[in-house]
Order: sequence, then C-alpha cells, then structure tokens
Amino acid sequence: MSIDVPVNALPSRKFKLMIVYIVAIFIVMYLLFFFLDLSPDSVFIDFRFVADLAQQMFPPNIALFWRSSLFVSLIETLSMAFLGTVCGGGIALLLAFFAATNTTPHPLVRLAVRTLLAMERSIPQLIVILVLLIAVGIGPFAGVLTLAIGSVGMYGKFFADSIEQADKAIIESVDSVGSTRLQTIRFAVLPQAMPSFVANLFYAFDHNLRAAIPLGIFGGGGIGFELEFARGLLHYKDVLAYTILIVVMITVMERISDWARRSIITQPQLVTR
Amino acid sequence: MEATSKEFIQQEPSVLDKKFLDWKFLEWKRSIAGQRWKQAAIATLLALLIAFSAWRCNVDLRSFVLGIDKGIPLVGMFFPPDLSSLTSMLQPLAVTVVMAMAATILGMCLSLPCALAASSNLAPPFLRLAMRAFIALERGLPEIVQLLLLIAIFGLGVVPGLVALSFSSIGMLAKLLADGIEEIEPQMLESVAGTGATRSQVIRYAVIPQILPSLFANGLFRFEFNIRAGVMLGAVGAGGIGYVMRTSMNAMDYQKACVAVILTLILVFTIERVSDFFRTRILSGGLLR
Repeated sequence: MSIDVPVNALPSRKFKLMIVYIVAIFIVMYLLFFFLDLSPDSVFIDFRFVADLAQQMFPPNIALFWRSSLFVSLIETLSMAFLGTVCGGGIALLLAFFAATNTTPHPLVRLAVRTLLAMERSIPQLIVILVLLIAVGIGPFAGVLTLAIGSVGMYGKFFADSIEQADKAIIESVDSVGSTRLQTIRFAVLPQAMPSFVANLFYAFDHNLRAAIPLGIFGGGGIGFELEFARGLLHYKDVLAYTILIVVMITVMERISDWARRSIITQPQLVTR
Repeated sequence: MEATSKEFIQQEPSVLDKKFLDWKFLEWKRSIAGQRWKQAAIATLLALLIAFSAWRCNVDLRSFVLGIDKGIPLVGMFFPPDLSSLTSMLQPLAVTVVMAMAATILGMCLSLPCALAASSNLAPPFLRLAMRAFIALERGLPEIVQLLLLIAIFGLGVVPGLVALSFSSIGMLAKLLADGIEEIEPQMLESVAGTGATRSQVIRYAVIPQILPSLFANGLFRFEFNIRAGVMLGAVGAGGIGYVMRTSMNAMDYQKACVAVILTLILVFTIERVSDFFRTRILSGGLLR
C-alpha cells in the first residue's frame, strides 16, 4: 500500500540542504565552545540571577540626578566626543585632499595616504587607548586622542570620496580663469563637498559619543568611569540610574544629530556659503 | 547662430539694465555682509565650545609633547615581541573569534523574528510599536554598559560578552531588516496573499527571499564589528585576547602585550578581507541563490 503524496508537498532538496547546513553550524559552534572550555549552558542555568539583580536595582537611585558631579562627568563625556570629532575631523579633512584623485599633488601620495587611512581604520581602539594611557597618562585627554585617531581613518575615507564626487565642470571653469590650485580647492571643491563633510561630522560625533563610554572605563574619565566605579562598589541602584542617563543622552544626541544631518542634506546652502 | 551671438555682444546695455545690475550688486553685497556676521557668530561659538571642552578634558599640549618624548622609548619597550608567549595566546584569540561568531549567529537568528514584528506591513501596530521601542533601547544602550550589567549576573567570563554582543547585534540587524521589509512593494505581498497563502506563507515566500541577502551581508559586517567590540569587551572582563592585552599592559609586560597587539591586528585585517569578499559576492547575487 502506497500513499500518494504530491511531489511538491515534500520538502525540496534545497530546503533539506539548508536544514543540514544550519544544524551543522550549530553543532560546530557547540563543539567549539566545548573545546574552548566555555559553557554556553550557563546562560540558562544562571538566568535566575536576573531576578536577584533586578531586585537589587529597583528603584533606581534618582537622587543621583541632582548631584552636580554627575553632570560634570556627563559634560566630560560629551566634550570628549566633541573634541575628538573636531580634532579627528580636522586632520581627516587635511588628509582627504591628499587622498582624492582630483586634488592630490601626485598619484603616489594618494596611494600612500589611502593605505595609511585603511590601516588606521582597522586598528582596534583598545590598542590605541592602552598605549596612550601610558604615554599621556590617565585622564580624558587620552580618550580625546583615541577618538581623534579613530575618526581620522574612517572619515578621511568618506571625505576623500565626497571630494572625488565633486562636479568636474565647475572645477574646470574655476581653473580656466587662472586660479591657483589652492584657489580651485577653495572656490570649486570645498563648496561642493562641504555639506557632506558637515553631515558626516555629525555622524562622527554620534559614533564617538558611543565610543567615549568604554574609553571612560579604561581610565578616560566621564560617565563610563562613574558607571564602572559604581558597579565595582556593587551599588546597583546607582548603576541603573547611570544606565538610564546614558541611554537618554545617546538617544537625544542621536535625534539631534539626525535632525541636523537631514537639514544639511536637504538645504546644502546652510553650510556652503 | 554665430551672427546672433555677435549681435548680442555688440549691444549696448541700456540705462535701465545698468541700474538693475547696480541694484543687484548692492543686494548681493548686503547678503554677503549678513552671511559674514552669521559665519563669525558660528566660528565664535565653535571656538568657545572647543575651549570649554578642552578645559574640561584637561587638554595639555605640554603633556602631549612630553608624551611623544616618553612614547618613543615606550615603543622600544614593545620590541622585540616575546614570541615564547605566542602559543599561550592562541587560545584567547580563538575565544574572541568564537565569541564574535556565536554572537553574530545568535543575533542573526533572533533579529529575523524581531524585524518581522517591527515592520508596519506585517505586524499589528501595537506589536510594531513595542518592538521598535525595544530596538531603540538596544541601540541606545552601548554594548559595554550591557556587559557591565551582565557581568553582575553571570560573573566574569565569555558568557556576558556573548550575550551583550548578540543583544546589540539584534538592535542593529533588526532595525536594518525591518526598514528593508517596510520597503517591500505591497503588490508583491498582495500577489502572494491573493493565491490564498496564509500569513506565514506570505512571510516565507514573499518576505524572506527579499531580505535574506541583506541579512547575510549585514550579518558579515556585524561579525567584523563584533570582533573589534569583542576585543574591547574582553578587556573589561569578557576574556579573550583583549583581556590578555590589558593584563599584560597593566603588568608592564610590554613584550607580551606586543604579541597580543600583533595577533589582534592580523585577526582584524584577515576578518575584514574575508567578510568584504563574501559581502560583495552576496550583494552581487552570486551566493544564496
């Protein structure tokens, strides 16, 4: 006796293959965990501690918000991100003119700067901050330098790309009235690339604000340091208050920079003249 | 054509034209003057902000110059790298890679249902709102803060790092995927639904095939990010190569730290190349079809 099943109701070969792949990936991952002596099971075993922690955290220590030292550290984090963005953006802007095909003095310079930027982009921030903490000492200044170095690689490339997208006809027309190279950059390239620069800088600030928090933990100061300190003392009510503050700060700054970026992109004349 | 242009050049400007041009020129000058004021105001504001934040951050150019002087012998202390510690570094390196990989896979698997629940054309409004709020919270919470909270639960080790990284992967991937799902043309969904498909069948045959390449491409990007973030989280207490790097720096064992730095750089470079290779292939449609 045979059951008549239409062929297309059965799982297809491709589907079966996909299932096999997925199961294989999970088995390999589990074996890797096992091999490396890690215990992923503890995610589920230790989950009961969540309730304990929640009990210790609630209610958050709201009284902290009225302490002035909190706002000092908040402003420290914000100014770390701001200064890192300004320094990094300034250096990136200078390097971008050497890295763009239409403004570079020589193709070899372009290649060298591009390689430098690509290498810099992939250095993890942890390495930079650990070296700088030894070189310039503990404090927000090390954090500022780290953020600046981190921004150069990323935004140098963005800036160079937006310079390369500048309209050739405008550059040629400015060239044809006998302007020097610097004048061409000032009057033909810069006005075209400026909106994209400024929009990217707002994005960089957003990014740097997030990055400033871990840097604070390593000794860069600011709100990250306060958070780590409170956790070290097991003051979980304070930890929750700091966490709320960080979430609010990041979300608000993200909204503001989103709004600024959008208004610059839709009205480029805000920054070109 | 030529004649007309010559005629045009030879024409004398009338008195009215001259007056009009003068007026235009004056107007232009005035607008420039107004903009100068605005520019000056913005520049002053920026300078004040920079000065204020420099004061707050104790920016000290003297210590920077001294730091350069100190930095050169410091770089010398990193060399030669202590190659005998290389074998003991391989295990933490593998831990970092496995942590990032598992976090990416977990994040990719979990971000799919989150994205489906957060898209306006598939989910009911209240579910969408709740899911969007959850995703916004995930994105507002830096992974380092999540890690600190999770360390309080799980203790030091890879597990809090894994959970923190997968949570923040969900935040990023689910947002990108949900935005992608909302951009799917409604005709596409209607035509599948019109054949009598249930909602889950619509998702299976109209939604999933469209967002799968984006899921994998962004997942690879996230994997690259998770490696870097994993090194950072490791230094705070999630183990792996970042932890080794920080402890050996703190113990002033710079030659050992140098090995960790070199291994991390090699790892990041390699992962970048590999993920770039696969991402271009996925986005050009070679893979996954």
